[in-house]
Amino acid sequence: MELSRRTLLGGFAAIASGVAGSALAGCSSGMNNAGTTAKKNTATELTMWCWPGGLGKSVLTDTIAHFPDPKIKYSEIGGDFKQKLITTFNGGTSIPDITGLKGEDIASLLPQAQRFVDLKTLGADSILGDYLQWKVNQATTLDGKVIGLPIDVGPTALFYREDIFAAGGLPSDPAKVAEQLKTWDDFFAAGVQLKAKNPKALLVWDATDLYDMVVGQGTERYISKDNKFIGDQDHIRKAWDTSVKAMTLKIDGKTPSGGPDWNAGLDQGTVPAHIGAAWVASDIKSAVKTSVGKWRLAPTPSGPANFGGSFLAITKNAADPQKAFDVIKYMLSPDNEAKAFADAQIFPSAPAAYDKPQLTAADKFFGGQVPISVFGPAAKAIPVAYQSPYDDAVAAPFHDELKTVQTGAKTSDAAWSSAVSKAKAIAKRQGVQ
Amino acid sequence: MTATATVSTPAVTAAPPPRKRIWSYWRFYLALSPFYLLFAVFGLYPMVSTIVLAFQRWDGLSARRFTGLGNFAFLVKDPTFWQSLENTVVLFFMSTVPTLVLALVLAVMLQSAVRFTNVYRIAYFIPNVTSLVAMAIFFSSIFSTNFGLVNAALRSLGIPQQDWLGEPWGIKIAISTMIVWQWVGYNTLIYLAGLQAIPKEQYEAAKVDGAGAARTFFSITLPQLRPVVLFTVIMSTIGGLQTFTEPQVMVGNSGGTGQSGMTVVLFFYRAAFLDNDYGYAAAIALSIFALVLLFTAINWRIFRGRGEDR
Repeated sequence: MELSRRTLLGGFAAIASGVAGSALAGCSSGMNNAGTTAKKNTATELTMWCWPGGLGKSVLTDTIAHFPDPKIKYSEIGGDFKQKLITTFNGGTSIPDITGLKGEDIASLLPQAQRFVDLKTLGADSILGDYLQWKVNQATTLDGKVIGLPIDVGPTALFYREDIFAAGGLPSDPAKVAEQLKTWDDFFAAGVQLKAKNPKALLVWDATDLYDMVVGQGTERYISKDNKFIGDQDHIRKAWDTSVKAMTLKIDGKTPSGGPDWNAGLDQGTVPAHIGAAWVASDIKSAVKTSVGKWRLAPTPSGPANFGGSFLAITKNAADPQKAFDVIKYMLSPDNEAKAFADAQIFPSAPAAYDKPQLTAADKFFGGQVPISVFGPAAKAIPVAYQSPYDDAVAAPFHDELKTVQTGAKTSDAAWSSAVSKAKAIAKRQGVQ
Repeated sequence: MTATATVSTPAVTAAPPPRKRIWSYWRFYLALSPFYLLFAVFGLYPMVSTIVLAFQRWDGLSARRFTGLGNFAFLVKDPTFWQSLENTVVLFFMSTVPTLVLALVLAVMLQSAVRFTNVYRIAYFIPNVTSLVAMAIFFSSIFSTNFGLVNAALRSLGIPQQDWLGEPWGIKIAISTMIVWQWVGYNTLIYLAGLQAIPKEQYEAAKVDGAGAARTFFSITLPQLRPVVLFTVIMSTIGGLQTFTEPQVMVGNSGGTGQSGMTVVLFFYRAAFLDNDYGYAAAIALSIFALVLLFTAINWRIFRGRGEDR
């Protein structure tokens, strides 16, 4: 049987125009879609996106059961979450009603506030006070819109090996460590003392990592609120010099966290301490085998910083923003945040959760110490710093150049001036003055 | 009747309606069309939009702004770009030359092996089909400072250990070692296929003339392999200039100490997906395209051989 030429051509033309049409549609949405033209989601389903491990499992199942109408359809999005969200926004379809936003991405999404519902218009004012103020500020635009409700925070602490500290002649009891290692200078002095007794144990795991901690302890970063480059000023130079001091004192282990050397060193005592966010506890726990029960927690020298911590936001495409708000409000209640902590070490952003039994339990891994006794006060004391959307891009040259100091390829001053000039060029390109 | 026929027939052949001619081949066009349609959607459209994007500023979400040659102007002044270009070329030489030499040696050895040839072929090809990320993690363990295999070997020989992934040159050695490991087997098999195509008579004639193994290799094997070598060199060029996963997993998005592991593609990735500077990333992508084109042309000139027809 032979197909008639007319039908075949017709079919061919239909396919061709369909393909061309969809290509053009893709093109136009990519070109012109500034967030308001995309179509609304249907009201039959409430779609929700988050990354693996972003929400507690029991909280999630409970929330889905608690809101049967419309049914919550949860999708776990692996890989580069922000990238997939941006691509979906550009595509204009299948945009989730509720989405997670990572703490490191929130600054660059604030200029896109028009794509998200201002939670204040849904009555968030009554509950915002339940969450850590500085964390809410991270999701607040300069004109006062709140685009995300905080899921978790990442307050830092000093993780250390009690046995190595004791053998090195340092205080080993958390209270005494807190008392003696108050500032970076104290910390470095302890490092020198430890190295004298135990040459393999270097107190600073990686000086370039330490740099980020010191920057995070400040109230200013690389770009000021009025969009001026301030990365060449004293507060950054101080962090730089602190990091360089650890190198020149030769107590820098040059062991970036998460690598094979770090994993092995934690157990073998060559990495006797680490300063990191609350979630680092699970990394250390999974890396070590023999040093279980020998780890302790003390406050970060010179004060806490925050690393990580994410938000739940409602997109403008949500069919029923009020309903979506009810869902995230329920999910992130202090009770549920405490559950999420028990589920997956997701450290609560609501201080009321810190008194719940899930958090006040003693941890055998830390020799029976109660982690919240260190992380709780740290979370409340984290300094507020304005983070510009271009902060990460501008910070990159500082990290890169600091590494050249670490390997001895450049002097501190040469690397500093090169970092500042590179950062200035990047900032200028992004429209920073 | 005949008069009109003789008049009208040449008229038809002299000036055929062009539309009809083209449409009379519609079946063939239809048979070819799936490729062109897919190419238009997944090849041509992204390419054209990359070129357009290279002249715009776009953060991924806001409206695009036309900036003319602004992205390129920033590119030529960006020290990181030049650094990444240099790294890429250095890494390319550090990995391609050992890869191809080793592959050729292995291929000649495999050609003369009598037993278990297939076992060796499979063994050499396995690195090529292993997950790149898994391999990069494996290699970063091998090269790690305190507990790595390489340093353990050095220590046992009494040589002081090196900070492989912390020193600029160490990073390059680690990355190129991994590339060599991955691609030697692939090129060996290509060379082996080329070797098997060389007529046996030539070798027999050489033997009769009393040529030794080395003379046979340089006078017969290598010249006969020239087109195969050209193919492998061009494929290695295209692959080598796009090195990305190895440094990204081994030393991270920053390219490691002094950015010595920062390749052009990693730089492109950083601009697009970390800094959300898509217009700039598109400009970098075009520069990678130009770079690959340039290197392929150079290779073509060198390995095409003299005195051959164009």
